Amino acid sequence: MIWEILARLLLENELLIPPPSSVARSLWKLTMSGQLNKHFAATLIEFAYGFSTACIAGVVIGYVMGIYKRVDEIMEPWIATLYSIPIITVVPLIIIWFGIGMVSKVIVVFKITAVAIILNTAAGIKNLDPVWLDLAKSLRLSGWETTYKIRLPGALPYVITGMRLGVGRALLGVIVAELMASNAGLGYLLRDSSETWDSPKLFVTVFLLAAIGLVSFNLIKRFEQRMAPWRQSAEWSAE
Amino acid sequence: MNDRTDKLVSNALKVASILAGLTLWHVLAVYVVNDTTFLVSPMVVVRTAYDMLFVTGELYPHLFASSWIFFYGFALAIVAGVPLGFIMALNPAVRDYVNPWMTTLYSTPRIAFAPILLLWFGIGGGAKVAIVFLGCLFPILINSFYGMRVVNREYVELARSFRLSSWALFIKILLPASVPFILAGIRLSIGRGLTSVAIAEWFGATEGLGYLVFFAGQTLNIPTLFVGVAAFAVLGILGFEIIRRVEIYVTPWRKQSQGG
Repeated sequence: MIWEILARLLLENELLIPPPSSVARSLWKLTMSGQLNKHFAATLIEFAYGFSTACIAGVVIGYVMGIYKRVDEIMEPWIATLYSIPIITVVPLIIIWFGIGMVSKVIVVFKITAVAIILNTAAGIKNLDPVWLDLAKSLRLSGWETTYKIRLPGALPYVITGMRLGVGRALLGVIVAELMASNAGLGYLLRDSSETWDSPKLFVTVFLLAAIGLVSFNLIKRFEQRMAPWRQSAEWSAE
Repeated sequence: MNDRTDKLVSNALKVASILAGLTLWHVLAVYVVNDTTFLVSPMVVVRTAYDMLFVTGELYPHLFASSWIFFYGFALAIVAGVPLGFIMALNPAVRDYVNPWMTTLYSTPRIAFAPILLLWFGIGGGAKVAIVFLGCLFPILINSFYGMRVVNREYVELARSFRLSSWALFIKILLPASVPFILAGIRLSIGRGLTSVAIAEWFGATEGLGYLVFFAGQTLNIPTLFVGVAAFAVLGILGFEIIRRVEIYVTPWRKQSQGG
């Protein structure tokens, strides 16, 4: 309410802060024309592909790095390099290599998530309490059983931390990639509305992104509490 | 195998891995791809970096432009974030009021704010600083808040039994106890700040490292693109190291935790 009155009375300029009513109208229009659906779906699919493949690859690579010290030493310089480069700056390169289609965005998401999960999984495997491994030995568990009964559950909280870090950054990455070059997705919508000075549409997009961020943030928090309830989840995940 | 040979093998493996990777990259660039608008050899990248640093010196204006934006946004975020975090920790009413806003702003992909800030501040320095500020603010704010919340109760009780005034309690107990958390927040926000610089410079800039990278991308100038990306990485590592040193110096009693 305050926002509406302020925007209507004081500013009288739809460009700077559009009143909620025109934002709502814009949302209605976008939904009805099916545009919103299309962009939303595009972003979601890119994110889902990149994220799911990165989870699998990240856990496998991180596990191998955690078990074999030599592999860890060979991989480390490259993982550290990848980790320290702000992804945004690599996006132009990825677009040159993989085109402006969906593939480049999936790769951006994959890279961000995979690095976060690899680092955390490896740390989880390395920090496993040796007592558990002794237990596995005294129970005469086979190598395979040790892996999925002792090592993986032990590293799970770390893996989930990696996923949590990955979600926020990957979301940013996919939006940036869409913003730079694409013809669909919320990032595209963001760019389109900002370049055509369509403030209501811009605000719709921003609110949607905020909603997506909030939902994914809470989902992963729930997931963390369910999968690793013995670990007190930090209320605020510092990235 | 004793410790020394083990360490030797470990370092040798790392060096071998880097060399092998660079060789692969070179072979791929020169013999397989052979298209300078697609991939160039690491040697070309090094030569370009050398030229831009020492021959033409064209990297410096970009470096300075980006550093200023980063520095202003970063400093503002510290100045605003630390006190706000403290106030939130000490005053439940403020906390309840700010919390929903903070969660929303923090979990939104922050590029979403860039066009709006641009709309409000214009494409000059103001919008860029604001974008960096917003990127750096939350890790610092949240860590200051958290640091003050988890201060050991015994310290506070000790202070009470010495009848410290609340001001002295703040200065002597609460502040020093939360410094490690604040520094951790600052360290985390360096990477976010650099990303924000790049985002800010993507939206209308005429200089800066982000501009360099994106312009190079649009003109298929791959060597310059790689140099720009490397510059970002170097700045990130440098900033991270500096804060880590400060952490060791300021809070020597704490065992250093691994970042990441």
